[in-house]
Amino acid sequence: MDTIPIRSIREIPPEENMLSGTPACAGCGGLLTLRHCLKALGEKIVIVNAASCFTLLSIYPFTPFKNSWLYTAMACAPAGAQGVRDALDILIKKGKLDPEEDLKVVVLTGDGSAYDMGLSSTSGAIYRNLDFYYICYDNEAYGNTGFQQSGATPFASRTATSPPGGARPTGAQLQKKDLFEIWNSHRPPYLATISPAYPVDLVNKFRKAEQYKGPKLFISHSSCPPGWGFDPSHSVSLAKLAVETGIWPLKESVHGKVEHTFVPKKFKPVEDYLKEQERFAHLFKPVRQEDILKSIQETVNEYWRKHKLLS
Amino acid sequence: MLRLRFHGRGGQGAKVASRVLGTAAFLDGYNVQDFPLYGAEKRGAPITAFTRISRENIMERGVISDPDIVIVIDETLLSDPKAMPLSGLKKGGVVFVNTPQSPLESKERYSITDHVITLDLTKIGLDMIGKPVLSSLAAAVASRIAGIGEDALRDALEKELSGIISDRGILEKNTEAALYCYDAVVPVQMKTTESIREGENVINIPFETARVSSPAINATGNTPLRRTGNWRVFRPVWDYDLCTRCMTCVARCPEGCIQVNEDGYPYADYENCKGCLICARECPAKAINDVREMHSQSEEGEL
Amino acid sequence: MGKEMLTGNGAAAWGVRMAEVDYIPAYPITPQTEIIETIAKWISDGAMDASFVTMDSEHSMVTAAGAASATGVRTFTATSSQGLLYGFEMIYTVAGWRVPLVMVNVSRGLSSPITLGPDHNDILAIRDSGFLQIHCETCQEVFDSILMAYKLAEDERVLLPVIVNMDGFYLSFTREPVEIPDVETVRSFLPEYQPEHAFFKPAQPMAQGVAVLGGEFYSYFKYQMHLASKNALEVYKEVCGDFEQKFGRKYRTIEEYMLEDAEYVLVMTNSFSTLGKAAVKRARENGLKAGLLRLRVLRPFPDPDIKNALKGKRAVAVIDQNISIGKGGIIYSEMAGCLYNEINRPLLLSFIGGLGGKNISPEEFELIFDKMIKAEDTGIVEAPHLLYTENEWKEMAGLKEIAGKG
Repeated sequence: MDTIPIRSIREIPPEENMLSGTPACAGCGGLLTLRHCLKALGEKIVIVNAASCFTLLSIYPFTPFKNSWLYTAMACAPAGAQGVRDALDILIKKGKLDPEEDLKVVVLTGDGSAYDMGLSSTSGAIYRNLDFYYICYDNEAYGNTGFQQSGATPFASRTATSPPGGARPTGAQLQKKDLFEIWNSHRPPYLATISPAYPVDLVNKFRKAEQYKGPKLFISHSSCPPGWGFDPSHSVSLAKLAVETGIWPLKESVHGKVEHTFVPKKFKPVEDYLKEQERFAHLFKPVRQEDILKSIQETVNEYWRKHKLLS
Repeated sequence: MLRLRFHGRGGQGAKVASRVLGTAAFLDGYNVQDFPLYGAEKRGAPITAFTRISRENIMERGVISDPDIVIVIDETLLSDPKAMPLSGLKKGGVVFVNTPQSPLESKERYSITDHVITLDLTKIGLDMIGKPVLSSLAAAVASRIAGIGEDALRDALEKELSGIISDRGILEKNTEAALYCYDAVVPVQMKTTESIREGENVINIPFETARVSSPAINATGNTPLRRTGNWRVFRPVWDYDLCTRCMTCVARCPEGCIQVNEDGYPYADYENCKGCLICARECPAKAINDVREMHSQSEEGEL
Repeated sequence: MGKEMLTGNGAAAWGVRMAEVDYIPAYPITPQTEIIETIAKWISDGAMDASFVTMDSEHSMVTAAGAASATGVRTFTATSSQGLLYGFEMIYTVAGWRVPLVMVNVSRGLSSPITLGPDHNDILAIRDSGFLQIHCETCQEVFDSILMAYKLAEDERVLLPVIVNMDGFYLSFTREPVEIPDVETVRSFLPEYQPEHAFFKPAQPMAQGVAVLGGEFYSYFKYQMHLASKNALEVYKEVCGDFEQKFGRKYRTIEEYMLEDAEYVLVMTNSFSTLGKAAVKRARENGLKAGLLRLRVLRPFPDPDIKNALKGKRAVAVIDQNISIGKGGIIYSEMAGCLYNEINRPLLLSFIGGLGGKNISPEEFELIFDKMIKAEDTGIVEAPHLLYTENEWKEMAGLKEIAGKG
């Protein structure tokens, strides 16, 4: 893998390592993330996949990948990665696999697995300093089952299990878990947030991660047209708005030290992002839920103030 | 027994249509089954839904392979090699197509020999509801063809839609548009003959080693064979006079469907482009237009 | 190497060492820990060349084991009871991957109430998963079965994982002499694993464990597992033949003890079969033509061998060291299914005994023989019967009183 940073989208590797024709929804932000990740990672990888929308990328007899893949189950993709990595190391040690032909082991999960069910398995893999990549495409709910609330669901989002109603007009009542900080507390060598709307930042983070042996973890804020409720064509613009409003900070952590890789010169109001999505429509009509909107804005402001990037 | 099969795309309302019809027939005193079938795909991919209506107990389960009535909510499915909405239609059956074309035009275009009814549900939806909402309209058409009473349909719409649509005004518009469609369809005297099943051999399957029989795929990158281009409602079309070859569209395509030609101009693989139109929206030069797909996949190939 | 005093757990560890296993993902649970502790120590001392990793749960452990096997290395892992159930999802999953993983389960009763003593509800819970199952009576058998398990699992006609079962405490912690052969002889019996169907190589990418949608396709994959499991009956016979030739010990899918001329037969599994054999001996001394059939291979179920062995017997009593709540003994049902279409089928009686490691006393065995004779006289077979003594009942009463339930 090339390690020199790129400066523009024109320098993104042209090879497509995942081909078209997948069952993913039109405009899937997670798929766009994955496409760029695979460009950055190259062909010599094995993906270990957890139960998620992306389980369905490979449905017998079809696979979009030029690389290998192993589907495990919802809770245990990092454990699968452990088995594959260790086995590859054994084969290299025994002279049965040329080190030049080694594979990078890449875990691929949605937020349901990453934030909830697979957390123990992930913690174990980071703790064991497993040499692997982890890509979580976070669409902020259990998307594959019809968009139910997960640990990644943001406050006030409508999901199929947090429907705003007369008695509970808020939608999801809990705050999104801070998976970045949960992972970061393990002090992995490399950890970053990424966005499908910022492919240059994404590719460069993978290039930077390449130098580290051990866990290299990525969380992508992945726009979801059917779950979030927007026209598929807005997928990139919405992912971009999440960054521009400060809701999704682009950052990285090297051995626990956090740096932001992109700070908007002037933050857009979070409303600009929320009002574009059906999952937040109840905050605007039939009556505007001012206190909730304020609290969401305040949470974002607080984050950036804490990092001394907003006065 | 009447067997109806609805064909639409994920998100178009085929499932809700089959349920509204099911409830209407139930309220009209029939024995009824309704059942949706969808694959792994979420949006855009072909889905089917089924309604069985009978005076007798229904001793069937699962998919309907020999429908009396086929309701085609998305016209592009008619020449989809996988959806095959007309497959198994009984002799003397009825096909409804959501299209601005006349029945005669549709019969010719799709070589349908059975009775065809057409109505432009999409336009009616846009005009009367303000959105291309098709489920209640398709249900109304199906109810009329199946001979279900208007009152039962009205009650079924209320029962099925009030849980999905919270806005009373929109619900009423839906009902109004549905009843308009109900009246617009001329009922036909349908007489279908029960199809004769071709005999099938029941076999013993032989052992095959795990090299063959494990659920592993040794082929690579073969999803393009699935041709997801048939999901598309709008097609992105480049205006090379405006295109600056900036590569934005290439970088923004989730499917990796956009490549560049020798001169550096982008073009799409229409065989698999799902028509999300991120490219059109993100193009800084506004060089990509969205063109409504009116024709089927097979004809696209000739363009 | 000759004979050593080894526990069942120690014998299992030796089996793994002699099979030259490459990879052992592990997670501790009583009474299995000695297996993984022993292996960890050997690796640390340099006596065994393998990779060992302590995982974060049995679910992760079975996943890592299956994934390593799917990558192409010889892999072992072990668990027990709650741990097996915690990894249950992956037991089915890994079997479906068609990888030749070998596991040991050290049987222990299932919660709730949580307990430590052995019974077989844990191992029998996974009987439909696709794992082949070998159940052991002695420590020697544990060692031998691990070697045989790899040979069976890695055979192209099979390619299914195998689980070797031993009773917690009564085998896992019990020492007895075990013969350990030299490594060269083991190598001649069990050559290095050369995967041809499941691996990850950049030159030949493979998507493993993919989703299969549509019942007609799903049926194919599931039924192929069944056919492979059925093949294992034949392959197992070859493996046993080869094993006997190399090591001199003879195994079959079932063990027949004083069975040939027997009229009244006990059916048992695992370590308590020894108690059953003693009971048979006593009954013979009292003039009753008793015998015992021990099921060693539970999956694939050796129907032909059982039918053949029980032909013409007067009565057969299945002692299930497990309980299917609301039904009775699990193996009883399987035996009934096996014998139902036989013309001269014996009367089949059901007993539940040894739950949570409860002893089975000589009097309880006598009761079983009495009931078999009575059933033969009357033609009436009673409902499943829990083996339980009056003294045990009194002890239980004492406990209840202390618990304030008196």
